[in-house]
Amino acid sequence: MSVMKKSRLLVLAVLALAASMVLVACGGDGGGGLSGSDNSDVTTATGGDPQGNLKISNWPLYIDNATIKEFDQAAGTSTTYTDDVNSNTDFFGKMQPLLSNGDSGGRDIIVVTDWMAEKMWKLGYVQKLDKSKIPNVEKNLIPSLQNPAFDPNREYSVPWQSGMTGLVVRTDLAPDIKSINDLFDPKYKGKVTLLDEMRDTIPLMMAADGINPEEATDEQWMDTIAKMKENVGNGQVRKVTGNDYIQDLENGNVVAAIGWSGDTTQTSNPNIKYVQPEQGCSIWSDNMMIPVGAPNPAAAYKFMNYVYDPENQAQITEYVNYVSPVAGVKEVLAKKDPALANDNLIFPSEEFTKNCFAQVSPPGDEQQVQEVEQAFENAKIG
Amino acid sequence: MTTLRQRMTPYWLLAPGLIWLFIFFVVPMYYMGELSLKTGTLTTGYEMTWAFSNYADAITDYSTQFLRAFYFAGVATILCLLIGYPLAYAIAFKSGRWKNLMLFGVVAPFFTTYLIRTISWKTILSDSSPVVSVLEFLQLAPDGRVLATNAAVIAGLTYNFLPFMVLPLFASLERLDRRLLEAGQDLYASARQTFLRVTLPLTMPGIIAGILLTFIPAAGDYVNATFLGGPDQAMIGNVIQSKYLVVNDYSEAAALSFTLMAIILVGLLFYIKFAGTEALMGDEEEAK
Amino acid sequence: MRAWRWLRENSILIIGLLAIAYMLVPILVIAVFSFNDPPGRYNFEWAGFTTEYWADAFGIEELTESLLTSIRLAFFTAIGATILGTLLAIALVRYQFFGRRAANLLIVIPMATPEVVIGAALLSFFLTLDVFQLGFTTLLIAHIMFSVSFVVIVVRSRLIGFDRRLEEAAADLGANAFTTFRKVTLPLIAPGVASAAFLSFALSIDDFVISNFNSGSTVTFPLYIFGANQRGIPVQVNVIATMLFAVTIIAMLAVIIQQKRAEKAAAMRPEEVANKPAISIPV
Repeated sequence: MSVMKKSRLLVLAVLALAASMVLVACGGDGGGGLSGSDNSDVTTATGGDPQGNLKISNWPLYIDNATIKEFDQAAGTSTTYTDDVNSNTDFFGKMQPLLSNGDSGGRDIIVVTDWMAEKMWKLGYVQKLDKSKIPNVEKNLIPSLQNPAFDPNREYSVPWQSGMTGLVVRTDLAPDIKSINDLFDPKYKGKVTLLDEMRDTIPLMMAADGINPEEATDEQWMDTIAKMKENVGNGQVRKVTGNDYIQDLENGNVVAAIGWSGDTTQTSNPNIKYVQPEQGCSIWSDNMMIPVGAPNPAAAYKFMNYVYDPENQAQITEYVNYVSPVAGVKEVLAKKDPALANDNLIFPSEEFTKNCFAQVSPPGDEQQVQEVEQAFENAKIG
Repeated sequence: MTTLRQRMTPYWLLAPGLIWLFIFFVVPMYYMGELSLKTGTLTTGYEMTWAFSNYADAITDYSTQFLRAFYFAGVATILCLLIGYPLAYAIAFKSGRWKNLMLFGVVAPFFTTYLIRTISWKTILSDSSPVVSVLEFLQLAPDGRVLATNAAVIAGLTYNFLPFMVLPLFASLERLDRRLLEAGQDLYASARQTFLRVTLPLTMPGIIAGILLTFIPAAGDYVNATFLGGPDQAMIGNVIQSKYLVVNDYSEAAALSFTLMAIILVGLLFYIKFAGTEALMGDEEEAK
Repeated sequence: MRAWRWLRENSILIIGLLAIAYMLVPILVIAVFSFNDPPGRYNFEWAGFTTEYWADAFGIEELTESLLTSIRLAFFTAIGATILGTLLAIALVRYQFFGRRAANLLIVIPMATPEVVIGAALLSFFLTLDVFQLGFTTLLIAHIMFSVSFVVIVVRSRLIGFDRRLEEAAADLGANAFTTFRKVTLPLIAPGVASAAFLSFALSIDDFVISNFNSGSTVTFPLYIFGANQRGIPVQVNVIATMLFAVTIIAMLAVIIQQKRAEKAAAMRPEEVANKPAISIPV
């Protein structure tokens, strides 16, 4: 019973651990880790306890405070709602090591933008949906979103909200900003920010320069990225941000930014306004999906179905002020709050969005896209 | 039998800790080195191709961020020394019974979360804050802002790593034999001479330890650049972080961190050769 | 004239006090803003005094959860790192052995490695090996790893400063190795071990960089703050940070008092004890 004996036990434990690791390192090269993945064996999401725990990852301030509680009460679930999606790329970077191992980190629903939804599907990171479990979605999804190019039959994605990327401006400090190119006016040096999602920022810049983003060539993408890099490098652009751009607008560090249409309503400063860029905006949707390894698809379906009820959806729309994918919301809101029912940010008129385009990705195969993405990443750091 | 047992005792004591450090420090370094020579992506998988080009690419693509990191860390280290030496000196010789309280002031920042401290500077230095107005009035903030400039990041680094400079300086000043100072005063008469010829040389080990302990973490830092800087302040740590955690370009990221490690290790080994490993553990004479 | 002379004579002390003020300003700002009543999501402009958020300090479930995770992690880190580090320190100070230089090197280099490199290396390791799922376990492994070296330094300085004759006396009196360790060595180095444990707890609870690499889906307190920064940091973060600060100070005072008492009891070389700061900070 000496101290040596005790330490010897410790040594043995550590040695055993070491040995087991060496064995695994030599033997197991299959499955996950750094060995690649694709969607050759995609599954349909089933199973789980419809009354159990539900874990959702969504973007910040993308739901009102009451809906989750009311859903839990109605469905008997216990929901953990995390707003840990700050940008598609960040979230993908964080999830990829897990998802490529078939693990969702306990998440049952994740919400990402169209292009990222497609990317995750192609990599086999999400499961097919069983549509018989979500009748409200079948019934109430607005027609324009029923057959998107990336998921023609809505096999794996259900829109959460749609929105526009344009200008968010402190109208008291920079009343004359109307076009994306006004951001590069020297008098606003160091007072403007761009979004760190390439598909948000670059197509808008191209449109401002008279390039049709939907037909832009690889070269035009690269040229526009070069223009961005120049403006980042010379200090014109203060930061390239995710959701935190609103914070800098609020305290006046920044007077104008490329930003998202719904964000202005949750600020405490009435001078922060969404401005539709003269040359148009980019329109996108964020989509709910069930990732591989989701522990409780049954509850996930229940949630999707719940938010596709127009009454329930109207409550979310009232708070987030984005474009709702659910039919019947306008009618509900017209009764509750007519001002919202006529708001161009929530129910954009054709006039309001006449120059807008669907969010685009660079042309070419995966390799080419990755090169453009890499160029963008490098432009972000000046 | 007992003698063998006795001779083995230190190894039994060392084993758990050293094995832990070996498996979770040395082996990971090896894996990082290996990864830096592979090519691939998370989707295609990684393959060993002895791609030394990863290093060439990493260094040519990000030389700006490397140099910027060393420049920021260098300036911050010098500032820490300029602020830290008088501070350590004051605590060691001038503080009287307030010594413990002053020491506490130096370590107090350690007791609030690093991130919150840095974000707190963001509040203090926001464009509309009175501090910035004063600086602007003094012509020290040319564009009417401090945030998203080199100055903000350097100030943040200086603030966050100052204790790492002060503590070793304080330790070496405390250890100083006061009789030597008195003798110096007798010999050279002037206080400045005494300082330059006696105090400074004798506290050199403390100065070097302080420089290392400030410069190394500052050069690898990305928190200050993230919160207080803009795109033009991105340091090598930001690049490594984004490549590992956002872009998932592991090979080049590994090459970058390996290069950073190598540069720092060379400096460190040089120091160890000059001062011995025990010096880094806080005392000058080798134990026995 | 006299004022000028006074300034000159005390210039070093004044610079020192200014420097300390510089160290304390952000902490003061954090504490003050824990009483702020911001109208929107962002807590960076003074808008009025309220104690509402102190009353509701643990009202944000996610935040509280992350704090508990951090505390749990720091607790296990402190235990693990203190055991491993103390054994290492005893070996280094008490025994002559072959390979001492290598052992020293292995202990020192992690401390001199930028955190971002440690984080990156561990992530490379965990990803390639594919044994551990990124999460609490990998965080614990990483935290113990980077804390061990600091423990060694603190305990080691304590061991060097103590009188071996006490142990020899115990041995002469017939105590075996283990009894000597338990009855003499351990009580003597206990304050050092305690401050080492305290230190590794503090290191762990504050770590952001290495955790950011190896956390998977686990959210610690600093990681929560990092995420929350994107959407506006709630006032409760300031409240909890201020609480943590206060708690650490109290804990530290307790350790100091305990130490003073132990020192009186042991009455070992008083002049040396007096010169040592009560809590050894690894430098």
